[in-house]
Amino acid sequence: MSPLETIPIHVINPLPASLADPVGLTGNAPPLLHELSESVRRLLDTGETTAIDLSALPLTPADLVWLLEKLGTGEIAVTLQANGESTLNETACPGIWWVTHHNEQGAVTSQFIEVALVPELVKAHPLDVKRGYEYLELMMSDL
Amino acid sequence: MNELLFLTWVRGTGLNIAVGIFLLGVLWRLFEIYSLGRKPDLSAPRHASGASGLHTVFRRSLPPPGMLKRSPVSYIGGYIFHVGLAIVVFLFAPHILLITNLIGLSWPGLPSQVVDLAAVVTMAAMVVVLVDRINKPVKRFLSTFEDWFTWAVTFLPVLTGWMAVQHLLLPYTMMLAVHILSVEILLVVLPFTKLFHAFTLVGSRWYNGRVNGHKGVPV
Amino acid sequence: MQGPLIETLVQQGVSRRTFLKYCATLASMMALPPAAGLAMAEAMAAAKRPSVIWLPFQECTGCTESITRSHSPTIEGMIFDMISLDYQETLMAAAGFQAEEARHNAMKENMGKYLLIIDGSIPLGVDGGYSCIGGRSNIDLLQEAAQGAAAIIAMGSCASYGGIPKANPNPTGAVSVSDLIKDKPIVNIPGCPPIPSVMTGVLAHYLTFGSLPELDDKGRPKAFYGETIHDRCYRRPFYDQGKFAKTFDDEGARQGWCLFELGCKGPVTYNACATVKWNGGTSWPVESGHGCLGCSEPDFWDAGSFYKPLSTPADPLKFVAAASVVGAVAGVAVSVANRAKKGAAKSAHETTTLADLEK
Ligand code: SF4
Ligand code: SF4
Repeated sequence: MSPLETIPIHVINPLPASLADPVGLTGNAPPLLHELSESVRRLLDTGETTAIDLSALPLTPADLVWLLEKLGTGEIAVTLQANGESTLNETACPGIWWVTHHNEQGAVTSQFIEVALVPELVKAHPLDVKRGYEYLELMMSDL
Repeated sequence: MNELLFLTWVRGTGLNIAVGIFLLGVLWRLFEIYSLGRKPDLSAPRHASGASGLHTVFRRSLPPPGMLKRSPVSYIGGYIFHVGLAIVVFLFAPHILLITNLIGLSWPGLPSQVVDLAAVVTMAAMVVVLVDRINKPVKRFLSTFEDWFTWAVTFLPVLTGWMAVQHLLLPYTMMLAVHILSVEILLVVLPFTKLFHAFTLVGSRWYNGRVNGHKGVPV
Repeated sequence: MQGPLIETLVQQGVSRRTFLKYCATLASMMALPPAAGLAMAEAMAAAKRPSVIWLPFQECTGCTESITRSHSPTIEGMIFDMISLDYQETLMAAAGFQAEEARHNAMKENMGKYLLIIDGSIPLGVDGGYSCIGGRSNIDLLQEAAQGAAAIIAMGSCASYGGIPKANPNPTGAVSVSDLIKDKPIVNIPGCPPIPSVMTGVLAHYLTFGSLPELDDKGRPKAFYGETIHDRCYRRPFYDQGKFAKTFDDEGARQGWCLFELGCKGPVTYNACATVKWNGGTSWPVESGHGCLGCSEPDFWDAGSFYKPLSTPADPLKFVAAASVVGAVAGVAVSVANRAKKGAAKSAHETTTLADLEK
């Protein structure tokens, strides 16, 4: 190992959460579940969708892991390649999606929980569809 | 002058002036007091004075029998806020850093949460002591401007320091500057008020203990 | 190039989803509700490109470098495609009279509507003679350009607060934009240099809502400058535990402990470095092992050494020795006076005899 590698240039916070209190849980995550259940109810009743910005909430990494574990994994996992990777994963509760955006360097730039039938980003925009249609027509006319 | 420059001033020129006046005052008064001297006591000692002086230094910190019951607030409140002050002043990491920078000594500090708690307890005790002073007619009667003033000058640094750490009222930069300024006021005022007991307490107790021992009342 | 932005972007191969994702992240960064991200995307996609005039004054071009070289090809760069940058000396191809003409045209055509970006401070010394462009002083240019501006963005610490040119003893008499212009909305984006995403965030906000974001008392957007570096610093738990690196290469430094003792100014610095980070989220100064210098605060250059902890004296205590001597001398003098008094009293003392009493 070169001596350079022994210097942790990219320190990823190993202690903070654990030392402040043993498990690193702040207790801020459980109320979020209540909020989610309300959002899901709204989705069922009125079709209204919700998005929760996880970086706007005082959640520690341990809280996020706890939340992720509680919500579980669903059937669908969408990967989007747009200026870095984004993952839009269904949780074990259909209708609740865990959305993580990475930049090109692979760092997480933002994280959301989306309550919707299909996450907003997955849907194709009519204008894009139109462009696709034009392309298709053009391609067929060349055949 | 903006906040940052204000902070720089209190860390620089302000501190310079305050520490200067503090040292000047302390040395002045110590020299003055100790050079006063006493006439030699020609009477034969009634009792070998022994360790009466040393004992008195400590004994005076313990309540005489019955007194704790008569004014619990003064004793208990007094203890709590003196110990609390010591913790906050000498065991908060940034404070230790300051002392290290000034005189080179250093020791381990306490986690800031603990110091935070100590600050709150100290302030509570000081408020209780103040309320007691206001409520008890005798105490109120005996209190002069100096008593109220020195209370405030001691209380403010703790309050502003705590508020700075907790981000209350003012932006941190400003609060920190106000905190340092309040400490500087304390430094300037200390040698010239009853707060000087921090320096004279041991000496005067020792002296009294010795004299009493000499007169035949050893402790 | 006129017309809705999204078309321009799509032509450049930026997909709608890329754009949406960017807006979502931007909204999150600016502490706006997630729904705002979508609103932003829609508004921005449809927005017409506002004219922007960028005037460099007494500056080092570091701010321009920060923005244009952030990391390419970038979504930050996209924002610049969203505006019509009609005058920017460093970037424009035109030079000389041509350039001046471009500026005049943009100012005339978009009177009252263009955004004015300023980087660099404005020197007032020798009638503004320290910094001129095309024979005209910076004050002159600023006042002219400000007249027709919808809003002014002061880019970097120099334009916001005077910055390094204003550092003591301020030889050129440098001042900030807000020192001179009082009748236009001004956003300060301080930093030496400022973080690119903060700059683009403010532009995006303007494009979306047609207004400037909410500002703090120093004219900075609250969304980015609302909290100190220290409050968002990942090394904060070490600060609270009293674990400090003592030198830049000791065990503490290797463990990633707090840099307070090495002079970190994070506690008194309001900026977004700790959350937004630098170089496309790669890292930021404290993460790289160096304390914060306080570069986004007014007069940070004159706020004592970068390497002295905040809680220690900014300068060595000069009066200590003198004060001690004076104190000791005063004490001795007073005691001598006291003794003299005592002596005088003693010698003035007359012995009373029985005869005296009988008188
Ligand atoms: S490194 Fe600086 S900003 Fe971070 S916790 Fe320590 S003092 Fe605060
Ligand atoms: S860490 Fe401090 S000095 Fe460094 S860029 Fe950020 S605000 Fe400026």
